[in-house]
Amino acid sequence: MSNAQLEIQLIASLVAVACAIPGTFLVLRKMAMISDAISHSILPGIVVGFFITQDLNSPLLILLAALTGIITVVLVEYIQKTGLVKEDTAIGLVFPALFSIGVILIAQNANDVHLDVDAVLLGELAFAPFDRLLIGGADVGPKSLWVVGTILLITVALLILFFKELKISTFDKGLAASLGFSPAIIHYGLMSVSSVTTVGAFDAVGAILVVALMIAPAAAAYLLTTDLKKMLALAIGFGIFSAIFGYWVAHWLDASIAGSITSVLGLVFLVVYLFAPSKGIIAVMYREKQQRTEVSLLTFLLHLKNHDELEERHVNHLREHINWQKVRAKTVLDLAQKNNMIHIEKNIVSLTTKGDEFTSKAIDYIMTNEDAQIEDMKDDFFLFRG
Amino acid sequence: MKNESYENIKHSSPSDKTSASARVIAVKVDDLTVAYNYKPVLWDIDLEIPEGVLMAIVGPNGAGKSTLIKSILGILKPIAGSVSIYDKPYEKQRQLVAYVPQKGSVDWDFPTTALDVVMMGTYGSLGWIKRPGQKEKKASLEALEKVGMLAFKSRQISQLSGGQQQRIFLARALVQNASIYFMDEPFQGVDATTEIAIINILKELRKAGKTVIVVHHDLQTVPEYFDWVTFLNVKKIATGPVKDIFNDDNLTKTYGINYKVSIQE
Repeated sequence: MSNAQLEIQLIASLVAVACAIPGTFLVLRKMAMISDAISHSILPGIVVGFFITQDLNSPLLILLAALTGIITVVLVEYIQKTGLVKEDTAIGLVFPALFSIGVILIAQNANDVHLDVDAVLLGELAFAPFDRLLIGGADVGPKSLWVVGTILLITVALLILFFKELKISTFDKGLAASLGFSPAIIHYGLMSVSSVTTVGAFDAVGAILVVALMIAPAAAAYLLTTDLKKMLALAIGFGIFSAIFGYWVAHWLDASIAGSITSVLGLVFLVVYLFAPSKGIIAVMYREKQQRTEVSLLTFLLHLKNHDELEERHVNHLREHINWQKVRAKTVLDLAQKNNMIHIEKNIVSLTTKGDEFTSKAIDYIMTNEDAQIEDMKDDFFLFRG
Repeated sequence: MKNESYENIKHSSPSDKTSASARVIAVKVDDLTVAYNYKPVLWDIDLEIPEGVLMAIVGPNGAGKSTLIKSILGILKPIAGSVSIYDKPYEKQRQLVAYVPQKGSVDWDFPTTALDVVMMGTYGSLGWIKRPGQKEKKASLEALEKVGMLAFKSRQISQLSGGQQQRIFLARALVQNASIYFMDEPFQGVDATTEIAIINILKELRKAGKTVIVVHHDLQTVPEYFDWVTFLNVKKIATGPVKDIFNDDNLTKTYGINYKVSIQE
């Protein structure tokens, strides 16, 4: 592995971490779309900043561009507050307007600016190692590595300092306000970090990948944990994995690095979405199937409890009486027998003591719907788990 | 109970408190007007809440009950008027006040546990940046125990029933160890057991000399649960001891001629 390859992977990983942190809070605040808006609307800021500084990595350019990001958020909120259009519409109005200004500015000055729309959308990670930072004539590494590294450092410092404030204002804005943690300050703080991160990552990975790096790792992490710190850690992990694996996919396929990283992010999310242990699609489907069976079982047990007549309890009659298909009736009968809820004698089904107690308890729960009872039930009955 | 007149109920009220004038005023609201998009939802409210009462705020939907609480707590900015907590502005008295928002105002799918939510109640006394430590954790566990939820401390909050979630919110307010408690519809969507558990804790708070203000919907239970009541419908209709002012006259003024329909809900 060459030095340049290592540097590209390092930059991509740092960008991924810098994006995953604000991204986690954006996802929890249901503001994923705002990152899309910011990533596009900072373009005019970048172009104007570039005219002034002639340097894509200048701190002034980053601040100017981040300012456009904040302006986007303010404009969206202002339009939304008038009550004439909803938030998604406001976002859809603001960012194309700003982005198009950027596109026109680039086109108008195409001859003097080393910026083109392709690079803006997809980034030029492959070229990042060529733009070196020289201090006193000594090469200290690629410029974008330093830019992204600095942004990441600030982001991590802010996260550690204000973790508690971010958590409370994300979970309960009203309580945060009443305790004196101004939700507005935290909101605009998060928006500022998101904007600065977007600008810093923009040059390396482009507008589209920035959004993917912010949202996909956080969305996948959300499906896997019920702990905010673990969610942050998982999002960071997914981000780094996608950055490095994506780089090698691009290498093998000789394709765009940004495109490959984004594809890997998509795949990571897809895998988690399908296979997450409790919130994944397959787990949910399995649970629903279990619940269907258990409701059937309960219906069946209740039928036995309510009927003493022999013909109501004859194996062959059960199917007609409860009106089930043969296969389902057999599944339920087997399940009940396996759990010692019933015994069958001369084709007549009756409840065992255990089955009788279980049925009474379940019915009791369903009728009273009391919390205390549900707790005991949860252990032995799938149906009542969440 | 449905056909019983409120004149009869008031005599069975548990209240034995005397008039407001003799007591310390915990919360004072002066000429408060609050508007959404320049449309006033609260008009010129004057309100004095004496220390140590358990007060219900009642009124029809859209009467501005939640808005009143939120304005007192500085969550909403009034267009006119002022609020004081023990004679000082709210910003200086945050430590004395605990707030229980409506259960529906937060996302219960948020990745956190019951204990962690209760710990949020300690954030106010910690201030910015400082993290909760062992002391805060111990206080939070005690609050969980008080609401009978200690066994659920590690449970993810979406895995709790509506009543359990409300108890967690109550524990979060208890851990603040405040003098004044504001609660926005704490009985909404909870089962009967939880309702009794909550009202018992509120009565305990009053016994300990705390002031408790509750936005309340069920008019039937007002005389049984509360000793003080405020009728609100954009304007303040009346405020005072339940036994003196909880009557057909004020109910009619607040709910209009159809108030009896509301009672039967």
